[in-house]
Amino acid sequence: MNTRRRFSWSGLLVVLSMLLAACGGGTAGPATGGEQPAGGEAQTVVRMWAHTNNAFIAGYEALIAAYEAEHPDVDIQLEHFDYELYLQTLQTAMPAGEEADILQLFGTWTSQYYERLTPVPPEVMTLEQAQQVFYAAPIGGYVVDGVLYGFPQEFNCEYGGVLVNKTLFEAAGLTFPPQWGTMDDVLVDARALSHVDSAGMMTVAGFHFTAADPTSFSFLAGILQRGGDFWNADHTGLTLNTPEARAQLEWMVQAVEMGVVDPVVFNDTTNFVIDAFFQGLVGIGYIGTWAIAEGQANFPDFADEWDYVFLPPVEGDPVFAADSGWGLTVSPNSEHQDIAWDFVRFVTTVPENALQFNLASGTIPAMPAVAESAEIAEQMPWVAKALDILPYGRYLGNMPDRDLVVYEIIYPHILNTLQGVETVDQALEAMEVEANSTFQ
Amino acid sequence: MEPAPKRSRRSRSGLALAKGRFVLGVTVPLLVYESLGVFVLGWAFVLMFFDYSSGRVGGPVLGLGGSNPFVGISHFVEMIRGTSVEANLFRTSLKNTLIFAFAVLPLNLAITLPLAYLLESIGDRFKALYRTIYFLPVLTSSVGVALIWLTMYNPQSGWINAILRFLGAQPVSWLSDPRAGFLGISVAMWAVILAYLWQDYGYNMVIFIAALQAIPQEFKDAAMIDGASAWRVFTRVTVPLIRPTMLFVCVMTMLSSFQVFDIIQVMTDGDPGYRTQVLMLDIYKNAFRYQRLGWAAAESFVLFLVVMGVTLLQMRLLRTEWEY
Repeated sequence: MNTRRRFSWSGLLVVLSMLLAACGGGTAGPATGGEQPAGGEAQTVVRMWAHTNNAFIAGYEALIAAYEAEHPDVDIQLEHFDYELYLQTLQTAMPAGEEADILQLFGTWTSQYYERLTPVPPEVMTLEQAQQVFYAAPIGGYVVDGVLYGFPQEFNCEYGGVLVNKTLFEAAGLTFPPQWGTMDDVLVDARALSHVDSAGMMTVAGFHFTAADPTSFSFLAGILQRGGDFWNADHTGLTLNTPEARAQLEWMVQAVEMGVVDPVVFNDTTNFVIDAFFQGLVGIGYIGTWAIAEGQANFPDFADEWDYVFLPPVEGDPVFAADSGWGLTVSPNSEHQDIAWDFVRFVTTVPENALQFNLASGTIPAMPAVAESAEIAEQMPWVAKALDILPYGRYLGNMPDRDLVVYEIIYPHILNTLQGVETVDQALEAMEVEANSTFQ
Repeated sequence: MEPAPKRSRRSRSGLALAKGRFVLGVTVPLLVYESLGVFVLGWAFVLMFFDYSSGRVGGPVLGLGGSNPFVGISHFVEMIRGTSVEANLFRTSLKNTLIFAFAVLPLNLAITLPLAYLLESIGDRFKALYRTIYFLPVLTSSVGVALIWLTMYNPQSGWINAILRFLGAQPVSWLSDPRAGFLGISVAMWAVILAYLWQDYGYNMVIFIAALQAIPQEFKDAAMIDGASAWRVFTRVTVPLIRPTMLFVCVMTMLSSFQVFDIIQVMTDGDPGYRTQVLMLDIYKNAFRYQRLGWAAAESFVLFLVVMGVTLLQMRLLRTEWEY
């Protein structure tokens, strides 16, 4: 073979190799890196994936630095992706076995991904121990068929918490902070806070509860508080066409008819709660505590005084459903399971570290011990206000697809009803049929 | 001294060898690249017969089988007569996609062809300027266009409602009112169509300008000498002569309309009440939000069939047997 021919074939091979390398992806698999720490020892590289949320990432980076300081032979590499991209990345990387060692997952996703996750080793923590350490709602999301697959870092409480605008309250001559005994008291204040311009367009919503999570979770909480349940007896399907569900939906319709919110102008896609509240367009904004950090970051010039308080129940005890929260899991494809689990344990189960993350991310702690700490009471006073209701939170329950049920079935039908394009009967019937079709 | 023909034969064979290497060097990488596309298409074709979710491990071969079971044509049966939420959303999305595409095409032609004709009739001094202005939205990213229109449509602070208020008219919730409609189509859909047309019309306009410039002036002159008015010259001479271009424009506009995604995802995400949920958005949601990849693949196949059917129909209706 002459030189030129050798050159041609080797060139072709180079091209093919590059193509194959490109097909294989440049970020394949966990690896023991050859990086040299200051001391000259080889470091073990452990990769971690999370969705992009600046407050969360700040919390993770601080804990990674603390862990690496204790373990100089470990290099935790955090990669984060925008929410939608993160979903796609997980869905394509996991079947290919290309995911990172440590994966941030939302608790309710566990029931969809558990076949591709590693159960928590008993030496890290048993399920019984975890149920003692964490609130029932957040840990519930990480349990599938009695097996624990990870640990929560937050209590994602979409029920009950509202942002309240002091400036608007005072302008309307209302008591601040509000002293609400019942939900009727809330509606009276909300009505006074609402403003409609001369053309009939609502410019200030007194009580914006018509975004997807608040609408869905207040509906489910209303069913529970009225003595009903949205699960059937054997937990194989949802019961959404019940007297309790009807009473709750009718109450929501009545609130809209009172003029506390125009759900056409204030909903999940138009005037979302965070954006609208931090622009002074909402008096009482129903949203989880996670919105506080985001609102402060996105609207630094918002000058109105505000607070975060909790609503009274519609009836009885403040029982509610919560869908777990963000937490950490480990890939079965990780070559460094021991290190990965040790890091997850360090971040999620050591109270001081969990506290640090919750303070950085502005999230409600998943552990009662952390939620009741003096630091939380001082720096996140709204969490202290939630302490009375958090024990009433129960896990939403494992569904084949929680997002589909909440965002494509429950919320759209309730919003249609509030907007006047569907009746209460139609909505309840459709919700139950469609939600149960996802279980088949 | 060696005979010249021998040397010539050797140089010819060397040239042939070099050509062969070049062809091989170009085609092999291309074939590898194309085979990836074929694999993806083949994978999508296989997936539509499975209830496949990437969250489940499934069987030993590519995750097919097991917890990702073979379901045959049941996805298609469900699409036609199912009562599940995904079947209802599929039918709604298909209807919305057809509404979108069949509204966009005539509106686009009604704007771009006269505009191109007008631009052709003005002086060269302004022609390039106007052409650039009209073409600029095509160069803008869809997300940027969507955000601009989203701001304009804002019910409280958008300038469209500001103008309506100034004129004493009622403001409109352009993108969020499920009750508002016009000609049986929701206002939100019209609002999205308008934004899409604004971004897209410059492309077809430039193509029409090129087609108009290619028509020999003698044809028009002859018609005018015969007493035809400007309108008759346009309808009886110009339009028939640009029929091949119209076919191209119709096919391409229809194709892109059937595949509309980004502008709708940013502006409405299918709201209000799924009145702007188109098939591409539904496919995206099923595949990447809800991990129903088997269902999404089946939907993609239906979209492919619809697009192919409409394209073949257009080609049959607008085909010409002659050239000039």
